[in-house]
Amino acid sequence: MNKNSITLMQFIFLIHGVQMGVGVLTLPRELAEKAGTDGWILIIISWFITTIVSLLIVQIMKKHPNGTILDLLTHYFGKWVGRLATIMFALYFALLAHVIFTREALFIQAWILPRTKIYVLLFLLAIPTYQIVRKNIQILGRYSEFVFYLTSWMIFVYVVPLKDAEWLHLLPILKEGWMPILSNVKSSIFSFIGFEIIFFIYPFLEKKEKASLGVVIANTLSLFAFLIFTIGAYAFFSPDEITLFNEPTIEMLKVLELKFIERLEIVFFSLYLFVMSTTVLPLMFMTVFCTSQLVGKQDHSSHLFWYILMGLTYNLFFPPTFDKNVQLQQIIEQAGMILAFAFPIFLSGYVWAHGLFKRRTIK
Amino acid sequence: MLFFRRYNKQHISTQQSKQNLHQGLISTNLMDNVAEIQSIFSDTPDLVVRNLVIKQTQSQAVLIYFSGIADRKTIFTHVLNPLLFEDRNQNKENELKVSLGHIKETNTWPQIEDAILNGEAVLFIDKCAIAYIYDTANFPKRSIEDTQIESSITGAHVGFTETGSLNVALIRKYIHNRELKIKEFIIGERGKTRISILYLADVANPDVLKELEERIQKIKVDSVINTGVLAEYIEDQPFSPFPQLLLTERPDFAAAEILQGRMAIVADQSPNVIIGPVTFDTFFKSIDDYGSRWMVASFLRLIRYVGFFIAIFLPAVYIAIISFHFEIIPLKLLLSIGASRERIPFPPYIEAFIMELTLEMLREAGIRLPTKIGQTIGIVGGIVIGQAAVDAGIVSNIMVIVVALTAVASFIIPAYQMGSAIRIVRFPMMILASLFGFVGITVGLMILLGHFIALESLGNPYSSPIAPLRIPDWKDVFIRFPHWAMNKRPLSTKALQMIKGNANRPKGDEPG
Repeated sequence: MNKNSITLMQFIFLIHGVQMGVGVLTLPRELAEKAGTDGWILIIISWFITTIVSLLIVQIMKKHPNGTILDLLTHYFGKWVGRLATIMFALYFALLAHVIFTREALFIQAWILPRTKIYVLLFLLAIPTYQIVRKNIQILGRYSEFVFYLTSWMIFVYVVPLKDAEWLHLLPILKEGWMPILSNVKSSIFSFIGFEIIFFIYPFLEKKEKASLGVVIANTLSLFAFLIFTIGAYAFFSPDEITLFNEPTIEMLKVLELKFIERLEIVFFSLYLFVMSTTVLPLMFMTVFCTSQLVGKQDHSSHLFWYILMGLTYNLFFPPTFDKNVQLQQIIEQAGMILAFAFPIFLSGYVWAHGLFKRRTIK
Repeated sequence: MLFFRRYNKQHISTQQSKQNLHQGLISTNLMDNVAEIQSIFSDTPDLVVRNLVIKQTQSQAVLIYFSGIADRKTIFTHVLNPLLFEDRNQNKENELKVSLGHIKETNTWPQIEDAILNGEAVLFIDKCAIAYIYDTANFPKRSIEDTQIESSITGAHVGFTETGSLNVALIRKYIHNRELKIKEFIIGERGKTRISILYLADVANPDVLKELEERIQKIKVDSVINTGVLAEYIEDQPFSPFPQLLLTERPDFAAAEILQGRMAIVADQSPNVIIGPVTFDTFFKSIDDYGSRWMVASFLRLIRYVGFFIAIFLPAVYIAIISFHFEIIPLKLLLSIGASRERIPFPPYIEAFIMELTLEMLREAGIRLPTKIGQTIGIVGGIVIGQAAVDAGIVSNIMVIVVALTAVASFIIPAYQMGSAIRIVRFPMMILASLFGFVGITVGLMILLGHFIALESLGNPYSSPIAPLRIPDWKDVFIRFPHWAMNKRPLSTKALQMIKGNANRPKGDEPG
């Protein structure tokens, strides 16, 4: 069996896994700060944009089905542009993975283990990360798929606290008109970021003709998850209260209580580490995939080792805080806007024009 | 590692050079041949050299065999008797008349040496350049008995023995089909263990078979003592706690797996048969699942999987809760745990380690002791350690319950290898839990999962019906579907023929 192929399901869950991660925990608050209780409309708009851009990416990749974006760029623009793009992507993914990985540890520290040092937690998380990422894309796909099945039931438990929800909080819809919504699309679109891995995983997909279907399903899965979390939080908390909590999504679970187990949110949060890992692992894989392609090496495990070690050392000497992490995130958001949205749009324009031009010359 | 490999190589090459001394052809002089034999087999008091005069040709001859491993009765009645007392056969002048089916002729020393070591009798005749080999082998063997470890309620009460040919015969009994093929190898420079791969030629995947053959042929060792050794040489990932090949002592189970498209490896001198390629769920199957009704079987399967998780995670969860997250248990339960832990001087992880280690030692002691003394262990373990340790305030009642549950849970896994894998996975989990609470357990689970989905058995994914998701295979994983609903072989074996039956059955009381 080809070790470097992923099924459609794995393709879907890889994309969905990358989109679904740490962002969800703070998403309802962030949106409420910007657009009040109409924040959920933002998500739908973002989903729409994201899906279109994802489809564009698939269209671009169809032109060069057996190579990643790096091969495609080399094909169109020559070796040096390809190199440059590899470095850009590597840096982007490295930083994104770093931000999310650190954020994961920060959340653990804040919610479960307040007295454990952050670098110890990072080291702990680095063990499974290294172990899984150093394998191939197929293993990564299997992991994302498995984790999805392992954790998807959690969303049903999330619905339970909604029995105390006040649905009137959502009304009136569009109370301040479209303006605050449209001007803040940027803040919600970041939760969908991660779909740009299509650039890299498309060539590994077994049934390439179903790629478009796959990206739509993946984005829609994420949309539903985000919507449930956001609308749930809006209905549960009052519009003013919601901005007081840092992570309203977990806060909600505090009301859950069973006869034999209390404080379910701790158990939940522990399991949520799995969901967060499906964000970090593919991103790290993309990072080392780019760097190893840059130096022309097949085996990426040594790169991964150094990448993780560098991240750990950085965090050891400059202990991360939420504020720093958010600052870093804002930088990476800008880069994400360019690489994940602007770049595919321009590239598809170019590819389209290129194709048009070529066809004419042949005629 | 490297050192051992080098050592091995040298070792084998010196041994081969010694063997080279006795190459070549036999001579026509009887005395020379006998001298040669005696130089090959020096210091072997069980070697029998019988001089005789053949009545048919009136020539001098010598019959040579090992007394322990050749069947004396066969030699007397079917070889010696005809040679000494019967007249020449009128029709065929050149052929010596013996009443034995399996006769070979040879003139090379290595073949003769092998034959004698195999328990065959070799006849040298004066002024004759050919020696006759009579198949009189009869190694000491155990009769077929009930299975010792994998006992069952509804399955056959027949277990494999230490004789390879008998084991093959036991499997053949279940599969009367000419497509049941056997590939034979002789492995081991000194041990010369006969290893047979049994498979269904029109079902088993040839790529997997080839992979398996290559791996077996690569083995260069002195001897393969049993299938456990063999399994360790051919398994995919040696640095894994999980067994990647199944060892079974049940012919019915082995036959069932062959019929699924898997391969069985029978090694001579080993009462276990290797089944491969396997997926993790094979270790949770028992032959009773197929013999009992499907609802009962499914229920037991589910219990086994629950047991698997209890055996790995329960002590870790206990440690995590007591030392980190006591807020998640309700107050009443917390109070009762607190009361039982009131006098305990140790932190929970020390307490857990003491008890878990004790349990493992008791278990091991129970296996090594003969059954008559074995009962003492139960008394010592159950009463003295359990009761007295609690009374003395060394461990808490809750901890004893946790340990007992873990023990019971790990015993219900049908495959002994998987049961023992769980035993060692438990301890790292406990350490992680004692350091990081639930986060540690989650990370432990993540590591386990990451390892698990990357594991392979003979190049096939080990986590098959789950982690490359194969929904059709789920009919025989957590819930055993009725037999008439399982018409296909599992995808994980990559069988050439998928269909194994049809869904014909009486409709009973169902409408329509």
